Amino acid sequence: MQGSNVGQGVRGEVDEVLGEAARLLPGGEMPAAVFNDRGIFERERERIFGRSWVYLAHESEIPDRGDYVLRYIVDDPLIIVRDEDGEVRGLHNQCQHRGMQVCRSEAGNASNFRCPYHGWTYRNTGALTGVPVEKQAFGETLDKASLGLVQVPQVDTYNGMIFGCLDPDQVGLAEWLGDIRWYLDILTMRCPSGVEVVGAPQRWRIDVDWKIAGENFVGDSYHTLMTHRSMVELGQAPRDPKYAMYGEQVHIPGRGHGAMLIGAPPGTDLPPFWGYPQDAIDRARTSLPSAEQFDVAYETRIMLSTVFPNLSIHNPIRRPDHRYEGSIPMMTWRVWNPIGPGQVEVFSWFVVDKDMSEEFKRLSSLSYLRSFGISGTFEQDDAEIWTHIARNAGTFSGRNHRVNYQMGMELEVDEQWPGPGVAQPANFTDANLRSFYDRWIEVMR
Amino acid sequence: MSARTGSFLPPADPPLVAPAGPADPEVTARIAAWLYHEAELLDDGRHDDWLDLLTDDILYQVPIRIHKEVTDSVRVTGVQTNAFHLDEDRTSLQMRVDRIATGFAWAEEPPSRIRHHLSNIRVRHTDHDGELAVRSNLLLYHGRWDRPEYELLSAERHDLIRETDGGYRLARRLVVLDATTIPTLNITFFF
Repeated sequence: MQGSNVGQGVRGEVDEVLGEAARLLPGGEMPAAVFNDRGIFERERERIFGRSWVYLAHESEIPDRGDYVLRYIVDDPLIIVRDEDGEVRGLHNQCQHRGMQVCRSEAGNASNFRCPYHGWTYRNTGALTGVPVEKQAFGETLDKASLGLVQVPQVDTYNGMIFGCLDPDQVGLAEWLGDIRWYLDILTMRCPSGVEVVGAPQRWRIDVDWKIAGENFVGDSYHTLMTHRSMVELGQAPRDPKYAMYGEQVHIPGRGHGAMLIGAPPGTDLPPFWGYPQDAIDRARTSLPSAEQFDVAYETRIMLSTVFPNLSIHNPIRRPDHRYEGSIPMMTWRVWNPIGPGQVEVFSWFVVDKDMSEEFKRLSSLSYLRSFGISGTFEQDDAEIWTHIARNAGTFSGRNHRVNYQMGMELEVDEQWPGPGVAQPANFTDANLRSFYDRWIEVMR
Repeated sequence: MSARTGSFLPPADPPLVAPAGPADPEVTARIAAWLYHEAELLDDGRHDDWLDLLTDDILYQVPIRIHKEVTDSVRVTGVQTNAFHLDEDRTSLQMRVDRIATGFAWAEEPPSRIRHHLSNIRVRHTDHDGELAVRSNLLLYHGRWDRPEYELLSAERHDLIRETDGGYRLARRLVVLDATTIPTLNITFFF
C-alpha cells in the first residue's frame, strides 16, 4: 500500500492551524499543515463532509426503477437507488437490526435489500418490510415503520447530477450551488438530452489531500506547462508558455465554487467550442439557456470547475492519440473522497453529451482514458506531484511551510464578463483558490 | 461461465477466437519463453523493444472490475464491458512509450520499480492456424520513491499470440484485474 503519508502528520491544535490560515489567506498564503493533519481531517469530516452537498452519482447511472450504485461520503457507505416509484433516494447501507451492510454489490438492480445476517428485508424505498419469524421472535414489540434504512437527510438533483447532504438543516441544493449553475449549464445542457455517464467509474487511491486535487481543477492552469511538459513535447498541448493563461477565471464569492474557461491563444487555430463537431454547435445554440452562455461556450477550448467541496470537472479539447487528425473533446467528472489525513479515493467518470453519435462517444472515451483518469498521460503526473505535497505537509517542519497563492492579486476584475461571479480576464491568477480556501476556513471555524 | 470461451469477458473486436484444445508441451514452452522475454523488456524499461513484439492491429484492454453478485452461475463477476483503465491500440501505446521517453513524464522520472511475476501459463490452439490463445497469471510489483511500502496488482492475462515471419507477436491482451479499487496512485506501467 502507499500509506507512507498517513498518520505521519503531527497532530496540531486544529483551531490554532485554522487561526493561522485565516491570518495568512488575505495575504495569499496558507499553512501547509491543513493538507495532512488528523485533527484537520476529523474537523473536515464533521464540518465539511457532514454538512455539505456532496456529489454522489448521475441519473444516467440508475435509469430504471431498482437501479442502484454504492457511493461514499468519506467512509459512510450510501445506496443511491431509483426506488419503485421512480424517486432517487440515498439510503445508509446499514441494517437497523445489527448494523450489517444490506447492499453488497457496487451496482445493480434490486427491488429489495435483504440483510444476510438475520434476513431483515427492506424495500428499495428503504422501508422495512420483512423480519423473519417476526411474531415468534419479537411478538408485537417491533415498530417496523420506524425501522427503515436511514435516509440521507437531503437528496436532490441538478441537471441529472445527484447530490446528497448529511445535514438536514443545510440550505437546499439550488441555493448551495448558487451561481455556479450558470457554468454547470454550459457543461450539461449543450444538447437537449443533457449528458450521460458511460460505464462504472475508475476508483483508485492517492496519498493526497482532497483540497490539493480540488484546487488544481478550480484554478491552477499555471501548472500545465511544467507538470504536463511531456505532453507538450508530444504536441498534445501548445508550446506557448502562456497558452493556459488565456481565457477567464471565475469564482462564486462565499461559495467556494469556481471555473476556468480557457480560450485559444492569439495566433493559434484551435477550433471553437472545444472542437466539438458542427452539429453539436448547432444543437447548443438552441439548447443552452441563454445566448450569453452560448457565446462564452463558443470561445471555450478547455473548461474546468470545482464545485465545493470535492466535485471537479474537466472538459478539454483533445485527441485520442498524438497522431489523430482533428479534435475529439472529452469530459470527466470526479469526486475526491477523503478517506484519511492526506489520502483520497478518486471516483472518475467519463461523461459525454447524450445526443452525440456512438462513434463520437467511443472516440471521446479514448480521448479521456488516454489523457485523464488513473492511466491518463496528463493525470499520471498530477498524482505523482500531489502525493509529495501532501507528504511534506505532514512533516514536523514541512507543516509550517506557507503555501503560496499570491498569483494575480493585482489583476483587475473583468466588468464586461457576461456570466455571474467574480471574473478575471486571465487564468494566471490564484483568485479561485483563495476563494476556495476562504470558504473552507469559514466552514471549518 | 463457459470454460471454452470465457463468457465473462467483454466482447472482443476483433472477436477473441475460441480456444480449440491445449497446445503440446513444446509449443507451451516456446510461448512461456516468449512471455518471459516480453516481461523482461517491460521490467527493464525497454519499451521501444516491447512495442516491436506487438502486432499493428493490437487491442490492449484493462477493464474496470467491480464487486458484484453472481448472475447466471458466472462466478467471475464485475468485469466491465464498457469501462476501462486502459483501452489501447498500437498508436496510443506508442504515445505512452514516447511520453516516458521525453524525460518529462514525472510519474516515471525517476522510474518506478516494476516486476512482472508470471505463472500458470496455459496455451491453447484456436480455430485459426498460427494464432494461440494464452492465459497467464500476473503478479505485478510497483515500488516508488524511498519508502518501504509497495503495491501489488494481481491479474489474469488473456492473450492472443500470432505467429509471424518475425516470430510470435501479441495481437490482443485483455487483463482481468483482481482489484476493484486500484491501490496505485496511477497506472504508468504495462501489464
